[in-house]
Amino acid sequence: MRGLSHIGIGCVTEQLRRVSWNLVVVTMTTPAIDTTALTRRFGEFTAVQDVNLRVASGQFFGFLGPNGAGKSTTIKMLTGLLAPTSGSIRILGMDLTANSAEIKRQIGVVPEGMALFGRLTADEYLRFVGRMYGLDRATTLQRTQELLEFMQLADEQKKLIADFSHGMQKKLALAAAVIHGPKVLFLDEPFEGVDAVAAGTLKSMLQRMIARGATVFLTSHVLEIVERLCTDVAIIHRGQLVAQGSLAELRAGAGRVGQAGSADAASLSTGENRSLEQIFLQIVGTDRDGNPAAAAPEQELSWLS
Amino acid sequence: MAELTPGQKVPASEFRIPASTQLLAVAWLRWRIFVNSTFNRRSGTKRRAAGLVGGILLRIIVWPFMALLVVGPVAGSGFLAWAAIARNRPQNLLSLLAGIALLWQFISINGLSISASVSSFDPASLVRYPLRFGRYLVLRTMLGLMTPSTVVGCLALLSAAIGIGIAKPALTLPALLVMAVYALMNIFLTRMIGAWMERWLANRRFREIFGMLMAAFAIGVQILNLQRAPMHAHGVPNSWLARLVLGQSSTLRWLPPGFAANAILRASHPFDALMQFAALLAITALFLAIFAIRLRKQFLGEYLSDGAPRRTSHSAAPRAKPPVQQASAIVARPGERPRATMPPVLAACLRKEWLTFRGNTTQFIGLITPLVFIVILNRGPIAQHPAYFLPGAIAYVLLGMVAALYNIFGADGLGVQIYLLAPVRLRDVVVAKNLAGLTLIVIEAGLAWMLVSILSRTPIPLSSQVSTALWTIFVIATNLALGTLRSIQAPRKFVPGQTRQRRGTPTNRTSSLLILVVMFGSLILQVPVVYLGRYFHMPWLGTMIFGPLAVAAVITYAFLLRNVEQLILTHRDVLSEELCKV
Repeated sequence: MRGLSHIGIGCVTEQLRRVSWNLVVVTMTTPAIDTTALTRRFGEFTAVQDVNLRVASGQFFGFLGPNGAGKSTTIKMLTGLLAPTSGSIRILGMDLTANSAEIKRQIGVVPEGMALFGRLTADEYLRFVGRMYGLDRATTLQRTQELLEFMQLADEQKKLIADFSHGMQKKLALAAAVIHGPKVLFLDEPFEGVDAVAAGTLKSMLQRMIARGATVFLTSHVLEIVERLCTDVAIIHRGQLVAQGSLAELRAGAGRVGQAGSADAASLSTGENRSLEQIFLQIVGTDRDGNPAAAAPEQELSWLS
Repeated sequence: MAELTPGQKVPASEFRIPASTQLLAVAWLRWRIFVNSTFNRRSGTKRRAAGLVGGILLRIIVWPFMALLVVGPVAGSGFLAWAAIARNRPQNLLSLLAGIALLWQFISINGLSISASVSSFDPASLVRYPLRFGRYLVLRTMLGLMTPSTVVGCLALLSAAIGIGIAKPALTLPALLVMAVYALMNIFLTRMIGAWMERWLANRRFREIFGMLMAAFAIGVQILNLQRAPMHAHGVPNSWLARLVLGQSSTLRWLPPGFAANAILRASHPFDALMQFAALLAITALFLAIFAIRLRKQFLGEYLSDGAPRRTSHSAAPRAKPPVQQASAIVARPGERPRATMPPVLAACLRKEWLTFRGNTTQFIGLITPLVFIVILNRGPIAQHPAYFLPGAIAYVLLGMVAALYNIFGADGLGVQIYLLAPVRLRDVVVAKNLAGLTLIVIEAGLAWMLVSILSRTPIPLSSQVSTALWTIFVIATNLALGTLRSIQAPRKFVPGQTRQRRGTPTNRTSSLLILVVMFGSLILQVPVVYLGRYFHMPWLGTMIFGPLAVAAVITYAFLLRNVEQLILTHRDVLSEELCKV
């Protein structure tokens, strides 16, 4: 960000306080995301099963799970990129199937793989996305320039997206996801490959959006980030939702749901000081019989020096 | 200034985005992708200027051929349509329309497997934007209208309508109208097939099977046609293909070409003409409907992928643990004789190349097809001149294979890092890769040689055989040397199922034009040499010329191998940058 060194992160955060960008505070009674028995099968394989997810408006929601647990499949269904096999999805109170265009207008997505057009420049891409979301030409140009500056991509005007580093592509994908001022933002691993300075800026931006009433639905493998940013968390394991609630509820052992988890909720150790990582490992780190899911590496790879 | 200004509030009811905004945005997107792909923005000014000169030279060579491919069918269609009406041969109009549709669809379907996975733009990715289905349908119909098959097909139909109008002015309007609907019918048919194929082509295995089927079809038509209509048969050929193309099959009348032709030809009987036109319209609407049904499912989020996630992680029973291998197990025991007779690095790399080849059906088809065409060529006049037939056949099979020598690291992608990280001699890696390529070339050339020997109607002179052998060595060694150099200087990432590979970084690399000149030049060098040998009655002229050339090429390659270690280390940043970028 060219201007960042002059004004400092604190100043940017202060500026962001003024950002509204169509972020209308939705009444807290209508959940931003509400799924009922959401299921997706691929042939005989069930990737997501009976997921009942409820994310209140204005929440910074963390969606966690081990690799292959069904996080990306769920996000794809929630954003209309993948049709559920059964179950229903309501975004901002509207049924996704019946109001797909209206809902897509009000959500922003950083999908898995980012879905950028490699043979465009960042400026061209943002202008295209702005127009696709119905912004007028002047607003599109203005926001494009601001976002490029904000994401520190303004100096790369002539570079094709294909030549961007992974972190730059991630920032561009995030810029594209917010250019139209979405009310709900879906982020699949948004901080992966992003440097610490940019990550700090992005976190500030997301928190400002939350302050303005937007909802952020985020997946990340970095549990520290989720713990620091998110107010509520859900954990999916083997396609089933195994925990959902606020961090405090999870620490208290009260957020456990479903039957995929093996251990009885009562048997879970509780404690206010437990980190999210400890909670996560306790919930997904056991198999159906309550035994540790994986043997300690040193037991198997004894030949390692 | 890193500041996001407050935006104006948009009323909640303002969901409607003007169609023109989104349609123009996609048109602009396609235009920018085209412009950015045409003019490499990564190049520096000097390199861009050099690229421009090379590009202009290439276009001067290529464009006349391209123009012939466009002008030929368009002018031909106009003339044939004119002749069909002016000479009162209505059957010919039916044949013409059937031929245009057949070629249009064949070329389009053949291109599907290519365009399906070209990463620059996937139209299906538009579903994530707030589009209504109607707009998505329009976009998907419009996208791809500028493909060669569609452009040439539409121009050919327009030309046919003009030809009909010249022959019989009263038919101008009906012809234009019918041809327009017929063009639409072809467009929707292409889209319909494409939309259904897209689903299947998402699967890699199907793509390979599809490629095999298309190759088999193309070859099969040639073989069957030759079987049924010998080249020198008297009178009109009586093959099934000829009968079909000449419209002698009554089935055609009940198909769109028949409806279109009769809607024009029976203009003097308005009711008949209208009925035929209505039938054509109905078929067009049917194709559109089937296309829309498929597209609707995709719009609603139908899953398209190379395969469903594996279920093993969720439901598989725990696997039995393999016995723990002690550190000492990987060290050969004293006195134990190693089984391998070649260096382990070389053996490992060769095995990896073999495994890659084994899983690539397309490459396998690429090996079979030239051999089949040699059999077909055998029926032509070239087979009567073994001095040309043998080198011609070898040049034909080499043409497709030497190109692979110019990108030996492309298929490795991210994996190329292992060569740079592992404690191996990079020369061994290059030798293994070259050996793998060389083995395929030698097998292919050997098979072609055997085929020519068997099929040739007259014995091949020894002088021709020796000359061809030396020329083959020269071609392979030259291209191996230059190909290896180019592979290191400008590797291009190869994505399976994608024909458009990533461009190399414009660093200090061997010119593309030079490569083309060397590749094609070395291949066609045989022609003037054989001609001169025959002209001056010097049958061993080829041997005298290609002998030294072969030796020089082999020495050059050996010299390159000696220095390849350093060469790779110098260019390791290029390898990483081009192949390892996600």
